[in-house]
Amino acid sequence: MSLGFTRRSYYAGTVLLGLMLAAVYGLALTGLQAIERATNGWGLSVYFFRVTYLLNGPWYLTWLTSFVGLTLLFVFGMWFGLVYRRWNVAGLVAFIAALVTLLLGGALIATWASAWASIGHFFTRLSASGLTGVLAALAVALLAGGAATIRRVTV
Amino acid sequence: MTPTISVTGLSRHYHHHTALDGITLDIEGPCITGLLGRNGAGKTTLMRIVAAQEFPSAGQVRVLGGNPAESEEVLRKMIFIREDQEFPDIKVRQVLQVASWFYPNWSRDLAETLRADFDLPDSRPVKKLSRGMRAALGIVMGLAARAEVTLFDEPYAGLDAVARQIFYDRLLADYVEHPRTVVLSTHLIDEVADCRSG
Repeated sequence: MSLGFTRRSYYAGTVLLGLMLAAVYGLALTGLQAIERATNGWGLSVYFFRVTYLLNGPWYLTWLTSFVGLTLLFVFGMWFGLVYRRWNVAGLVAFIAALVTLLLGGALIATWASAWASIGHFFTRLSASGLTGVLAALAVALLAGGAATIRRVTV
Repeated sequence: MTPTISVTGLSRHYHHHTALDGITLDIEGPCITGLLGRNGAGKTTLMRIVAAQEFPSAGQVRVLGGNPAESEEVLRKMIFIREDQEFPDIKVRQVLQVASWFYPNWSRDLAETLRADFDLPDSRPVKKLSRGMRAALGIVMGLAARAEVTLFDEPYAGLDAVARQIFYDRLLADYVEHPRTVVLSTHLIDEVADCRSG
């Protein structure tokens, strides 16, 4: 930021870099999966890049799911970094505690509402592309969280 | 006339420590302004707030008539070189190349002249530079950018006396040719006084 750009620009540029990296790594995973399929598991029936249900469809779906998954991990990690930069260790611990509380709270509510069966049905009915959509929505939510956090980050 | 930098009632508190307390000042450029004070006087905090790298607890900052916080228009006309300036892990010439992308008035010739003056090896990675060389690299960026507002926060930490004199000489020579608003914080009062009389 010594070079005169805003937090907004910095965040947008970093996200763009993350998206590009996810796209390239997704292509690499897709290519390796294609080679793996063409060689019947490297000639040994060993499949590293075929993940049952998740990465087991056509090449474009493999790429899309890989891209979205890698993007999700990138923005989640970036949000952790931003929280640390803004609120230091205490803030990071509080952030992790809040996430754990959120998960536990969700689990408790699901238990009290006897909703676990419905949740199970939702995921078993969900296709790989549908799950990719859920992950993409989560990535967008995390992106928004990161954008809100960086607004007051000091350098 | 609108001051280049205008600070009104600026305060910054960190928990129980007050770094700035009701600072008000106007700097009307073009000029070179010295910010003198002892260690811990709040010079760095003031400059960080002016450069929108820090936020005030109270008060207002205007640079070139606008609020610098998240203002692309203002920030693009300002460069801030810190004492603890951090660089990405790339080579000297790449740092200067990247810096040149952000400043329309960037002078490649001046950057090259300064790099030679400070004996900065352009193919050396920044992480292998000495502390003084990193300080020199910051100075090269700060001067070659020819930004309308140039903030130097004790930029010569680690530089020897000869290199510091080169900095003063080049700063004054370039300022005469390209007047702009330069704010220079330091606690080396004698040297700055010599610079003024020179």
